[in-house]
Amino acid sequence: MIKRVISVVAVVALTALGFAAPSKAASESDCGTGKLFCIGLVTDTGKVDDKSFNQSAWEGAKAAAKSNGGFAKYIETTDPKDYATNIGQFADKKYNVIIGVGFLMAEAMTKAATDYPRIKFIGVDQFQGAALPNLTGLVFPEDKAGFLAGYLAGHLTKTGKTGAVLGTDLVPPVRYFGEGYRNGVAYAAKELGKKYPATKLIYHAPDNAFNDPAWGGTTAQQLLSQGYDVIFGAGGNTGNGALLRVAKKKGAYCIGVDSDQWGTVPEARPCLVTSAMKLIDKGVAAVVKTIVEGTDKGGNYFGKVGLAPLHDFSSKVPAAYQAKLKAITPKVLNGTVKTGVKL
Amino acid sequence: MKLRTSHYLIFAFLAAFTYFYSKDGLVATSVLYTAIQFALPLALAAMVGVMCERTGVVNIGIEGTMLISAFTAFFAGAILKNTVQGMLVGVFTGAMMGLLLALMAVNWKMDQIIAGVILNILAAGITSFYYRQNYSIPSTLDPIDLPVVGAWPILGPVLSFHGPITYFGIFFILALWFALYKTSWGLRSRAVGEHPSSADTAGVSVIRLRYLNVTAAGAVGGLAGAYLALEAVGIFERGFTAGKGFTALAIMIFGRWNPLGALAAALFFGLTQAVTNQLMIDEVVEIPPQFINMLPYILTIVVLAISAGKVRPPAAEGIPYEKEKS
Repeated sequence: MIKRVISVVAVVALTALGFAAPSKAASESDCGTGKLFCIGLVTDTGKVDDKSFNQSAWEGAKAAAKSNGGFAKYIETTDPKDYATNIGQFADKKYNVIIGVGFLMAEAMTKAATDYPRIKFIGVDQFQGAALPNLTGLVFPEDKAGFLAGYLAGHLTKTGKTGAVLGTDLVPPVRYFGEGYRNGVAYAAKELGKKYPATKLIYHAPDNAFNDPAWGGTTAQQLLSQGYDVIFGAGGNTGNGALLRVAKKKGAYCIGVDSDQWGTVPEARPCLVTSAMKLIDKGVAAVVKTIVEGTDKGGNYFGKVGLAPLHDFSSKVPAAYQAKLKAITPKVLNGTVKTGVKL
Repeated sequence: MKLRTSHYLIFAFLAAFTYFYSKDGLVATSVLYTAIQFALPLALAAMVGVMCERTGVVNIGIEGTMLISAFTAFFAGAILKNTVQGMLVGVFTGAMMGLLLALMAVNWKMDQIIAGVILNILAAGITSFYYRQNYSIPSTLDPIDLPVVGAWPILGPVLSFHGPITYFGIFFILALWFALYKTSWGLRSRAVGEHPSSADTAGVSVIRLRYLNVTAAGAVGGLAGAYLALEAVGIFERGFTAGKGFTALAIMIFGRWNPLGALAAALFFGLTQAVTNQLMIDEVVEIPPQFINMLPYILTIVVLAISAGKVRPPAAEGIPYEKEKS
């Protein structure tokens, strides 16, 4: 709690010192006049360069602005209490599209969409139960990406012990990734005719769930020292901490999350066999496109998921496993093979 | 050590060990090893508090000290391509933060809580603003395989294969305990924390000793920050100290401002975290992880409630010293 107060004060102090971050290239005053297409993005409590979902969403927003000749700006949220205020800043300036990133912002987005019916809203990771015409939830079948990662893990493990170091299960996408992974391992085991102990899912406490790499690393170490040899790190920086620790252990594999972490966490390359990806940037750009074309109807838009390329591991993972993975991927993605995760 | 708490802590360790050992020896050693890893940054950070408060200066800027030191340690290590030099830069940064606190609290006689908050704000602001992606250190500070100890049964795998800062940290905590209770520096420091005017009358320079200790404590905080960035994971992220500097203050009080007590308290807290993880690994009981995750905090409250009794902070804590007054 104290930390939150401090970070808020810090932001205020720095702003007063003239350090205010986002740059203002095009003129914001043209928003809402019809001359300029404006996209505003509000991050979850994280930064736009977090190597994770905020960054991915911001890249999508930038790409969408570029392809539509528009203008994009972001506000970084430091305290969950400010979600509504930050959304309101864009709404009051009559932005065309406002993107809110993260499951935790869902409530604030719904309220804003009701209050500003003329503005289009995109909620990343926000599943829409009751649809509003101007609010699109960009959601992903994370369980499928997790399942594929687990399927590969099930083939790679030598000890039969697999684990996952995760953010909090209070954020549904994290749970979908984890449980999909577990079921993927079980599916592979059944196919191989082997009997593995169930995959272990370890969740961080909800506080600081996505920004505690030291916990992630130590927890991964605990798994490694008990013979777990394929570890899935899914939980922002917390998960990255796990990847980095696994990278130091010879013969162990790790699997990244959200984006292709071969690029975002190069230190993990010694163990990083693949990443369970959800293509947030492509999804954001696609939803913005529907808005520009006027075909959006609100409700949910399902983005794409998949596994990242194996990079250097494509020569280390047996070709037979890669072929099996290639064969099952479309079946999992189109739903022929069920992940068995309760959504 | 006049600590009733310690008995409970030893009991907790033995109970956990017996329980896990009865299932699997590997799991038991793994849990204890992990407990040490969870405990170390908290124990080191708690030493910052002990050193400052024993001489009468409250330091709630431990979180900020760790954060900014982790930042400079990481980026210096990345730019100089030398992890050890990075660590030294981190320790130096910590000392500078300590010096800044001493300047505000001792010289300017500022409210020490506010002075600590300033450290935290400064660290959060600077590290956020100057953070850059795409830097990496050449290697982390790698674990050391202890020659003789490593071969011991049971204790070997628990004590061996920690990183250099971990070993130095434990040695430092023991040395600090010795220094605080068995040397003239320790006696003077404690006197300054309890009754500065008497210490002054006896010829101890209150101002100088406070400056010295607060700065040295800052260096220890710098080491704790360097541990997070260079030994625990090998990355720096904004705000990634994740509240450890504040938990450390609780651990300091739990350990009654005694280095060994704080070490024991940190180990206990680390143990509860390792046990929490192990409960999720073993899936002993079907309860939601949020509840299992509360365990470290609940157990800490329980142990505090039954064993702590009355804790008394150093008497002159938080009061700037002024000569010829009171």
